[in-house]
Amino acid sequence: METKYSSRQIITLTVLRVVIGWHFLYEGMFKYIGGVWSSRSFLLNSTGPLAPLFKMWAQSDKAIHYIDVLNIWGLILIGLCLFLGLFERPAKLLGIILLSLYYFAYPPFSSAAAEFYADGNYWIVDRNLIEIASLLVLASFPTSYRTGLDRFMTNYPVRGFFNNITGGRLKNKLIPKK
Amino acid sequence: MGISTVPILGAYSIGSTKNILKVLDDRRVDSKRLLDIDQFDVMNERLPSSTGNEQTRIRIGLIGNGWRGESLLNSFGYFHPDYVNKMKTDGQYDRWLPYQKRHENLYVDITGICDTFDVHAERGIEVARNNIREERNTPEILSGIKRYKTYQDMIHSKDIDAVIVATPDHSHAQITIDAVKAGKHVYLEKPMCHSIEEAIELKKAVNASNIVFQIGHENRQQMSYKLGRELYRKGVLGDVSMIQTFTNRNSLFGAWIREREFDHLGNHQTIDWKGFLCNAPWHEFDSKRYFNWQRYNDYSTGMIGNDFSHTYDCVNQVFEIGIPESVMAIGGHFFYNVGIDDLPDVFNAIFYYPDRALTMTYDGTLKSGIYRQTKVLGSEATMEIDRAIMLYKDPNSQRYKDVAEDPEEPFYYYAPNARVGVDGITSATATSYFKSGYGPTFIDGKVIDATFLHLKEWIDAIRGQGKVSCGIDQGFEETVTFCLANLAYLHKKPIFWDKQNEQYFIG
Repeated sequence: METKYSSRQIITLTVLRVVIGWHFLYEGMFKYIGGVWSSRSFLLNSTGPLAPLFKMWAQSDKAIHYIDVLNIWGLILIGLCLFLGLFERPAKLLGIILLSLYYFAYPPFSSAAAEFYADGNYWIVDRNLIEIASLLVLASFPTSYRTGLDRFMTNYPVRGFFNNITGGRLKNKLIPKK
Repeated sequence: MGISTVPILGAYSIGSTKNILKVLDDRRVDSKRLLDIDQFDVMNERLPSSTGNEQTRIRIGLIGNGWRGESLLNSFGYFHPDYVNKMKTDGQYDRWLPYQKRHENLYVDITGICDTFDVHAERGIEVARNNIREERNTPEILSGIKRYKTYQDMIHSKDIDAVIVATPDHSHAQITIDAVKAGKHVYLEKPMCHSIEEAIELKKAVNASNIVFQIGHENRQQMSYKLGRELYRKGVLGDVSMIQTFTNRNSLFGAWIREREFDHLGNHQTIDWKGFLCNAPWHEFDSKRYFNWQRYNDYSTGMIGNDFSHTYDCVNQVFEIGIPESVMAIGGHFFYNVGIDDLPDVFNAIFYYPDRALTMTYDGTLKSGIYRQTKVLGSEATMEIDRAIMLYKDPNSQRYKDVAEDPEEPFYYYAPNARVGVDGITSATATSYFKSGYGPTFIDGKVIDATFLHLKEWIDAIRGQGKVSCGIDQGFEETVTFCLANLAYLHKKPIFWDKQNEQYFIG
């Protein structure tokens, strides 16, 4: 499938990619530089169907250590990739997975419990879900091959590797300049 | 085109790092400037250094191996093999053992156990034979651990240097006075005594001796109370006019109606009934009285002696309020075992402190489990305190006139947490951790069992290092205060305390 975007489309889609990257990167950097952050209380107070699993993780020092490291570096690397348009496809996929974990830690199905970490009123749809949906949009309308470093990586071997782990070949080929 | 976002990232990285550092810096400096104090003192305290070695080993006997007795042995590093196995099967062993080993070796040996119930005594021996902090489980050491049939045998034994008394309340004074006279150091569980008369006798005995005496109010080691005391003394609260204390429980277990693992084995043969009664009025053998002794006036003072005495000592630690001039109290026995035993399940008391220009109240119920921490009303700020501290700005405060008004949110929050820096400040979302209870404390960058620190303080003092923080004077204030409330409840009249003559009067 060949995708052709208008300039307006490419700009707005790139802006969306960059702001989501911005958000991820800032959150990750804040936790890294802050130094004392831990996911323990977030997981310990979680609600919803996955709560028993999250609470079990929160009980284990070892698990919490790995979760914290993975979360911080996940946020930073996903953020950087989205920002720069580098390895965009796996970055979006991992971003969706990470956001889904946040979403299911406090699923806004029953109001009271889910409001623990929320600063608004939500039912089913919350900010995490909107960000997930935005990443899904970006997954359908990739931009990094135009406005990202992926543009220079068309034939780079690592790309084939990511194609394999993310399910299929990249469909969007570099469009020759008009 | 491909690098179009790179310059934005460059600008972003500079701007975001600057912003993060600024936000973190704002959060950090806030507390001292906010509270208008020069520095935090107690939060920088270090763990006291070790006083023990092979030459100064102390041999300890435990009198009363009930629920609390065994947990005191645990704090020394002695655990029942079943407990250790449970840790393993629950998958907690790998986390639990390093926590235990983090606690210093105090160089004590549990060499004697005394209990009026055979099953508890035997279990105590099994605990004393399983030291998990030190390699002491050799046949030679283990053969030195003895069961004593009576506490008199134990306190007169030359194989015991010090005793822990964790028996029912009514026997505290008698056992401790005898132990003190026999020259043994004593760690006595709270409440100190069952009556004011006993407290006066015990005070005389301890003051006439050279032994080291500590009451088991381990809150004395809790960082939040030490910090609360410092903040109060530095004027953070302003004039304190009212202290509200609460205890809440809502279960049969909480109301001391308890069926435990070995209770069914209790009978004439396995229980030394006379030993249990000690100096209490005679009563025929009754296993309910034995196992649920907290519910009878003959052996206990119910909520006021078991629950309030804790909270009172926390308040006394922070404010040194001592004994009130008068007390009024009212309560009722409405819910549990009505007509069968003696324990009220709703209790309100007001304590009058004219010298300190304040009153203290106690509201306790055994029919509501709502969580309420001690609330101290000051002219500048209100403090809620337990294992965490929350400060709320007073609407008319001068000291905090520049602090934003928010009646819902504390403007200062202390919640100790192993993952937080020396300062120990976290966001309010950490509330669920260190709320309530009397477990571990946070000191010197570590999470440490507060009861261990309290026992260590006693052991160190026996070796001539430092002083105990909850000695006979604090114990005397605790017992007189809650007993005045109990008398007010029983007589339905105000009770007055004559400080000079150490006597009470019924109003």
